[in-house]
Amino acid sequence: MTTLSVTKEVLLKRLEGLHQIPTIPTVLGPLLRYLQQPVEQLDAQKVTDLIAQDKSLAAQCLQMANSPLFGRWQKVDTLRGAIVGLGFHRLSDIAMSCGVLNMLPGEKTSIDPVVFWEHSLGCALMCRHFARKIGFIDPSKAYLSGLLHDLGIIVNLWVLPKEFRAAFEVARAAGIPLHEAEQQVLGFTHCESGRLLAERWGLSLDLIEVVHLHHSPQDSVNHGALVSLVQLCDLLCRTSGLNYGYVEKRQVNLAEETGFAVLARHYPCLKDLDWARLTFELDSYLDEVHSLVRSIYRT
Amino acid sequence: MELEVQNNARARRRIDDSKSAGMTAVSSLQFTGTQQRPPAAELVRIRDLIYQVAGIFHPDNKLQLLQDRCSRRMSELKVATLHEYFQCLTIRPTRQAELVALLNEITIGETCFFRNQQQLDSLRDVVIPKILQAKANSCLRRLRIWSAGCSTGEEPYSLSMLLLEEANGLLQDWNVEIVATDINERSLAYAKNAVYGSYSTRNLAPHYRQKYFVPVGDQLQVHPIVRRNVSFIRINLSDNERVTAMKSVDLIFCCNVLIYFDLASKSRVIQHFHSNLQPYGYLFLGRSESLFGVSDEFRLIHLPGATAYTKKIGPAQEGSKRI
Repeated sequence: MTTLSVTKEVLLKRLEGLHQIPTIPTVLGPLLRYLQQPVEQLDAQKVTDLIAQDKSLAAQCLQMANSPLFGRWQKVDTLRGAIVGLGFHRLSDIAMSCGVLNMLPGEKTSIDPVVFWEHSLGCALMCRHFARKIGFIDPSKAYLSGLLHDLGIIVNLWVLPKEFRAAFEVARAAGIPLHEAEQQVLGFTHCESGRLLAERWGLSLDLIEVVHLHHSPQDSVNHGALVSLVQLCDLLCRTSGLNYGYVEKRQVNLAEETGFAVLARHYPCLKDLDWARLTFELDSYLDEVHSLVRSIYRT
Repeated sequence: MELEVQNNARARRRIDDSKSAGMTAVSSLQFTGTQQRPPAAELVRIRDLIYQVAGIFHPDNKLQLLQDRCSRRMSELKVATLHEYFQCLTIRPTRQAELVALLNEITIGETCFFRNQQQLDSLRDVVIPKILQAKANSCLRRLRIWSAGCSTGEEPYSLSMLLLEEANGLLQDWNVEIVATDINERSLAYAKNAVYGSYSTRNLAPHYRQKYFVPVGDQLQVHPIVRRNVSFIRINLSDNERVTAMKSVDLIFCCNVLIYFDLASKSRVIQHFHSNLQPYGYLFLGRSESLFGVSDEFRLIHLPGATAYTKKIGPAQEGSKRI
């Protein structure tokens, strides 16, 4: 337990004190705040203007907007065109995806940034798909939750690169879930470090719960359904080809996961869901996520 | 008898396929940069029909493959549109035969050694250790595997090779017994002969090729050490009596076989699998094959890059609906 408190203390100190802690990208802060408003009050031009402030971000957004992953089947060459073609929320999803994922450290990290991108983007897409399937009230929020759920890994990569590398190596060698290896090696997981950053950024409470509790959805107080949805999609991604770059040597029975019971309380239809088909549908994302992320990451 | 005819047709097709070394590689949908059209609604309907009837699913990125297979059938039938072809599969009197013909097209090229590497990796890394753990207190150190619908033998021989690799490690002091069954005598004769062309052996890693095969002319014969663990028996999966005799198996592989069965026959076979399988056993189906709507007695398990089924503990849940 000493390790836990000391390391947590060290982490907190580093989070408070160091300059290399990832700060929310300039464009995304205002964008996130703007998105908190009711849909009817949102203005597409305002979103275009916000994203266009960052040329690189805008270019990446266009690249993603032209992917079938976001439902676009005809070429778009302007942000405005993307909003018209894809809709306001879809473009916001894309902007958030590019913005947040650009925050990975530039130097060599334990997790391959491309792989991390693929996992986060794949999880976001899966959350959105799953949300629609079960009639979850806000598929766009589900997307954002999937995208941000591993925020703590970005924190660990920045703040504790050596310690995190050790945890990652343990996970990879033993084929165990990353958060279990973090707990063994660091005494805490990316869930805790992610929560610190999410709070510092002023993310909404539901997103903070997702970042903090996606490996223990039973502890969620107010947003159990959203947190559980992310837990299940995260698991599906990790058992498919959208993992962290290593294979977790274990079997998963989704119906026995804590998130399943929590989510089933809100959505009883979950018990009748065709999980096999959902898994096969995830396959359709794999190739496209791989090629999209690789093409964006090279730009 | 209808089933038998279908299975014979399938088996003949597979033998012919396994000999056709020059077959073109399976094409896949290239979304990025080239494909900028949503899939045709009729194609999606055909995809859903196949899933509903045969339990095999084509994700969006494999729809082009399905389109190719439909196109072959359409040119044979001289049908111009997918809409018309959908009617061939659903309305016309020959719909049953056409569905079998399409399923044959879909499974073309499926037969080869190490067809589903991720499934085999999961078997070695996750499933076998769990089974050995469950059998730790058993006095008989024997692993019993049933390859149901083994066709020309690539699957049981792949399993045998994979497990031989573990003979000095994970499976030290364990006997492996693989019972491979098929309805088709011709397939079984081919399997027992164990000589394969380049198409069947296209996925073989050099290590396996060198260690477990003997060149015979321009073909390869499976080494006796691999064949020793495999026995071939003719069994019709619809023959209740014969199937019931396959008792106490630890693992069942039944890949791309049930897709040819109607729902009632499929349910019956699955019920037999349930009775034949040990409580801790696993049932593996083909890639993208599902038991949804067929049986409530198995539960879906996710393994790295693969899925499998294990027996449910406790009473079966009520019938399931599709979402």
